[in-house]
Amino acid sequence: MELFDCNCWYGVPRRPPLAGAETAEVLVEEMARAGIDTALVRNAAIFEQSPVTGNRLTSDDCAKYEALEPSWGILPPQTDELGDLDEFIAAMRRENVRSLWAYPEKHRYLLSATTMGGLFEEMVCRGVPLFLRRNEMPGKFDTYELAERVLLDFPGLRLIIVAHGSWGEDRLFRPLMERFPNFAVDTSRYELDGGIEEICNTCGPTRLLFGTNFPETPMGGPLLTLLQANISDDDRALIAGGNLRGMLEEVRL
Amino acid sequence: MIAEGRLAREFAAHGRVDDCPVIDTHGHFGPYQAIHFPRSAPEQVIDTMRRCGVRWLVMAGHQALTDTQRGNAEIAAAVARYPDHFRGWWVLNPNYPERMECELDGFETQEGFLGFKLHPNGHETPLTDDAYVPVWEYAHARGLPVLTHTWQGEGMSSYREVRTVVEKYPDIGLLMGHAGYGDWEESARVARDHEHVYLELTAAYSVRGALEIMVEHAGSRKILFGTDHPWFDPHYGIGCILSAYMTDEDRRNILYRNAQRLLELPLD
Ligand SMILES: [Zn+2]
Repeated sequence: MELFDCNCWYGVPRRPPLAGAETAEVLVEEMARAGIDTALVRNAAIFEQSPVTGNRLTSDDCAKYEALEPSWGILPPQTDELGDLDEFIAAMRRENVRSLWAYPEKHRYLLSATTMGGLFEEMVCRGVPLFLRRNEMPGKFDTYELAERVLLDFPGLRLIIVAHGSWGEDRLFRPLMERFPNFAVDTSRYELDGGIEEICNTCGPTRLLFGTNFPETPMGGPLLTLLQANISDDDRALIAGGNLRGMLEEVRL
Repeated sequence: MIAEGRLAREFAAHGRVDDCPVIDTHGHFGPYQAIHFPRSAPEQVIDTMRRCGVRWLVMAGHQALTDTQRGNAEIAAAVARYPDHFRGWWVLNPNYPERMECELDGFETQEGFLGFKLHPNGHETPLTDDAYVPVWEYAHARGLPVLTHTWQGEGMSSYREVRTVVEKYPDIGLLMGHAGYGDWEESARVARDHEHVYLELTAAYSVRGALEIMVEHAGSRKILFGTDHPWFDPHYGIGCILSAYMTDEDRRNILYRNAQRLLELPLD
């Protein structure tokens, strides 16, 4: 069973977490200690500074470690900071980047059809997943409302919300799972007793991706929860890495 | 794998370790306004306990946070029905001061409760408010434990308010629920400086680095395991403790030894 962490980062944010991971080396060491095989990673510069520098740093660091797969941030194609759409896709192909992250609040843009329509159409047709942090938008439930709007406009988009809160969000994300077959959440803060089991039984095991939220959260919490969840080993393997592995393998750049 | 050491290896492989039982000092019971619980029926809770090797769960009723009379009675019934698994925290609500005396009498006559649970934030009443004085007097005179919600931020339930209380009532076994969340080092110092103050880990374990600060400044003998169950799967908290940089001896102190000593619960 491959353990493939879909949600972790390293780097130097302006306000460090209690225990940070400033370099990719620290992340790789912690993964080895926990027994996590692979991780989809991003350098903090992507969200703290700009994808212009962060994407580059992420790719450079991932090239040094087999266990790390790079993931990039997006910006509105209209301002041309990451090249036009064709150039951006070509760069993804060149650097083998198969997933993207949006930080609309931090980077001050609208994650809408007007702004991102061209990119999202490409992502839908190429199968590129988009990740969104649960606390990206400032209002209590804004990130879910945003996800709903995006999915209504682009139901074929693979959208994953990560690090949803531990204080019970099933009432927020389960309706999205029911309506949109390409919507998923990660397990990094899914601490609810019986939560993983219930999602497997109601929405199916493809709606969960293993994530750790490292370095903010210890790897062992989400890891032991998944290892011991009361689900079949086939479902466990899908959540642990099969879903993400399959998703990335289907990406056509 | 999770981390080095035998406990990590065995919890990862089997979900429980027979010679390392777990005492969950901070549980709840019944439905709650803000969350859907897939596993909150007593039989499901006991099944979770079995899977995770949790020997005892000490809980406060969700209903008791609003309606103390019905809520405490609900816990009394659950404890009476499952006396080998559950113990209760008797919830007191400072917003009904006229009931306080009668409810302290109720505690006196009820079996299966270890002490009191307070929730200053939920009840919007600072821990230093006079409304709690009857509780402190009662618990202090009898050396009873009190589990209180604690969280960072001045004026409600932070380490500052805890310090004010225990300086006046040093014999109360005071469990700082959530370990003073956010004020990690300051809260740990209060636990270190006051013999009967403990850091309880619910939700605090999921902040990477917090456990190491607590062990450094308070020592692993002043830390207790808890999960807010049915909110959180005990495996999540246990996994976080396995991840933290400490020894298996520290982990055993946290998972059961300290609670066994403080709450006098048998581990047969
Ligand atoms: Zn609680």
